[in-house]
Amino acid sequence: MSDPVLKINHLTMQFGGVVAVDNFSMHINSGEIVALIGPNGAGKTTAFNAVTGVYTPTSGTINLLGQNITGNRPDQITKLGIARTFQNIRLFSSMTVFENVLTAHHLRKTSNIFTATLRLNASEERKMREDTDALLRKVDLYDLRDEIATSLPYGKQRLLEIVRALATRPKLLLLDEPAAGMNPQETDELGAFIRRIRDEFDLTIFIIEHHMNLVMEISDRIYVIEFGKQIAEGTPSEIQNNEAVIAAYLGGDDL
Amino acid sequence: MSNTTQKKTLSKEQILSAVIVLVFYVAVFIAEQTIPSTSMLFTVLKKGATYALVAVSMNLLNGFTGIFSLGQAGFMLIGAYVYAIFTIPLAQRASVYQYYNGGIVQTTLPVFIAMILAGLVAAFFAFLIGLPVLRLKSDYLAVATLGFAEIIRAVFQWDKIGPLTNGSNMLRLFPTFNDFNIRNASGEVTIYLSTLVPLLISGVCIALIVLLINSTFGRALRAIKDDEIAAEAMGIRLSSHKQLAFCISSFFTGVGGAMLAMYQTTVQAKSFTTAMTYEILLIVVIGGIGSVTGSCISSFLFVACSEWWLRFLDQKHMIGNFEVPLLRNGFRLVVFSVIIMIVVLFFRQGIMGTRELPDLFRKRPTDRKKGRGIKA
Repeated sequence: MSDPVLKINHLTMQFGGVVAVDNFSMHINSGEIVALIGPNGAGKTTAFNAVTGVYTPTSGTINLLGQNITGNRPDQITKLGIARTFQNIRLFSSMTVFENVLTAHHLRKTSNIFTATLRLNASEERKMREDTDALLRKVDLYDLRDEIATSLPYGKQRLLEIVRALATRPKLLLLDEPAAGMNPQETDELGAFIRRIRDEFDLTIFIIEHHMNLVMEISDRIYVIEFGKQIAEGTPSEIQNNEAVIAAYLGGDDL
Repeated sequence: MSNTTQKKTLSKEQILSAVIVLVFYVAVFIAEQTIPSTSMLFTVLKKGATYALVAVSMNLLNGFTGIFSLGQAGFMLIGAYVYAIFTIPLAQRASVYQYYNGGIVQTTLPVFIAMILAGLVAAFFAFLIGLPVLRLKSDYLAVATLGFAEIIRAVFQWDKIGPLTNGSNMLRLFPTFNDFNIRNASGEVTIYLSTLVPLLISGVCIALIVLLINSTFGRALRAIKDDEIAAEAMGIRLSSHKQLAFCISSFFTGVGGAMLAMYQTTVQAKSFTTAMTYEILLIVVIGGIGSVTGSCISSFLFVACSEWWLRFLDQKHMIGNFEVPLLRNGFRLVVFSVIIMIVVLFFRQGIMGTRELPDLFRKRPTDRKKGRGIKA
């Protein structure tokens, strides 16, 4: 069997005296949708930030398709094939929907500042624009193409952030609470959308989410962490019946 | 002045804007041939052209990349000195560098080469300073660049490097804007170009900056301004993009410094004060942070107000036997400050907001074809 898409070995993330992620190991196989859940402050987003290079791990390694990417810069990691969305939406606020997605195409550009200024990259730029339009059509955002991104309804902004991440053509997509703030109908649509892009874009997906219905519905496997430590791992049905998980979420002193 | 676009076809609005710019240049040319060259109009246009270039360069950093730099006076100083040092005619060096045996630089470059060199040296300094400083954020970066400008000003007056910079003495007798006038054999001016040429230099530089802003690279800069973390997550390398933007902005600020030297006809380090940076900053804010057109318009307005239109406030005026109160030397600055306060308090977006010239002709003012419409 080939290397897992993502393999985290004994990741520890320490901030001063606080250990946000403690000796956490996991892996995601190609084509899987894997969820990372846990109570607030469990270290889920910290783990994401370590994977995407926002933080350099205190110890441990992170491998993408067998390649060690620990300590790389975020832009390098994106170029290697990991794209992400953010818990609090981070769209380019002065840009249109189209430009937001277009900017994500930049990482494949070959132009430099001089060729770009003198418009010697016109054919490349045209190609990026065509690809952007094609992508927007594919995900039904073309009608909103010229709207300022931050003027969209909340659910659409979440969606746009995912689409922008897709435009970097990742192998692995990290979604940080994509359903946060969505109503039940939007959440259902999001679940279907995540499955659809997994199939259409040949993705592996790693998701942090608090909507348990969504997590249980779309995940192949689930990791549960509390206080930075893994407390469970398994299929949705295994997790639902795991006592340690129930205790972590509902509280309990019988452990 | 944005008459450029990614697409092959220019829109109606862009053509109209190009025509306006062209008409402006033609009008300046005609005015220069007909109005006496001592008119304040030309002083304003010359200095305005210089300040417009520096303001647009600053806007490239503050408005489009989100780097709040206050080193403008320092980079202008470098540009002005490099230009002056390399253009003083050999025959004049002995008198200019009278305390330093004619100085160590004994080459004289053509004016335009020297201007480009001025920009390059400023960009080189920006590169060195950028290495540590660009790691800082917002206010810290502003303070660090401000400090750099002050240090540069002091260093250039140091008499140990006098053979190069002439110490704290003036550099003079280098070619100025007036040397752009075409003269006949007997030395009379046949065609006046001393205002048009600076406006053209400034225009070409600003056009290059606009091309840059609207390019693929410029879009990456705007992404950085909007959200650094998201930009990085999209594969945009922050350090190299910021460094490049900083160097390019400083290049054009250096060229602006060379133009200021030509405008002033003399260069002295002590005149490149922090107040000069603040003037540029004011121009950018009044014009609209993120609008090249705004920076251009406001630099001419700013220079016109400070040099020309408000001058009468500094003189005593008598109406019959009644002396108008308050009018005295220095009152101009008071009025000026009040105007600025009013602008900053009530017109936060500046004259143009983030709109550009072509946007003004669009039917719907909120038609955000370029994605940089007015903020709600």
